[in-house]
Amino acid sequence: MEIIEKEQDGVWIFKLNGRLDSKTSPEFEQKIADAMGKGSKNMIVNFEDLDYISSAGLRVILKATKDLKRSEGKFVLCSMKDYVKEVFEISGFDSFLPIVPTMADALQKI
Amino acid sequence: MVVAAIQFRLRNQLSEIRRLEENVDGFCSGLGLTKKCFCEINLVLEELFTNIVSYGYRDDAEHWVQFALAYEDETITLRIEDDGMPFNPVEALEPDVSCALEERRIGGLGIHLIKKIMDDIIYRRCGDKNILTLKKVLPAN
Repeated sequence: MEIIEKEQDGVWIFKLNGRLDSKTSPEFEQKIADAMGKGSKNMIVNFEDLDYISSAGLRVILKATKDLKRSEGKFVLCSMKDYVKEVFEISGFDSFLPIVPTMADALQKI
Repeated sequence: MVVAAIQFRLRNQLSEIRRLEENVDGFCSGLGLTKKCFCEINLVLEELFTNIVSYGYRDDAEHWVQFALAYEDETITLRIEDDGMPFNPVEALEPDVSCALEERRIGGLGIHLIKKIMDDIIYRRCGDKNILTLKKVLPAN
């Protein structure tokens, strides 16, 4: 999986290309921790080119949600493929995590 | 009509989740099933496997968890067999409604996730084994 990150107006934006599974989740978890270590509190994850997410991936997202909430930061997910969004909905994540259609929506939300 | 079946077994360690993903991936792509289907089947099996590994055993011994995946008549059948303590996830994993969703850990996403994805779930205790059989009807490709 490729993780592209950039900082824009105080918001850390991650773009995940490929699969977020038990092999690739640790790297993403580390990148989030590094960003938080640099003081980042507001993060967007762009799922446009994410093909697949497993429970390991959901776990990393859940952890990031809790960590950012504790720092009073904001966490927004965007641009998910339909079935990926369904996985988040079935898992109930959409009840406590904003999931929006586009990056523009995400930037507005944050 | 496509008929396919695979069987494999994993040790009772969370690190085996990687091999679980590989086996499910092979099975689903071999049948040309959608990524959505792969995602859902994998989540269900990961959830159940995590619970077996985390709660199924009182000893430190190595145990095997047996998996069988089959596809016939547009239905996917998953079968998980373990020799852990009697454990019926259908009854045991009811969501804790007093606990906010975000407080639940993975492997605590709960039976509601599995019930939403699968159409049929049957638990049997046979001798010293837990046998869980799950079915999902897929639309024809």
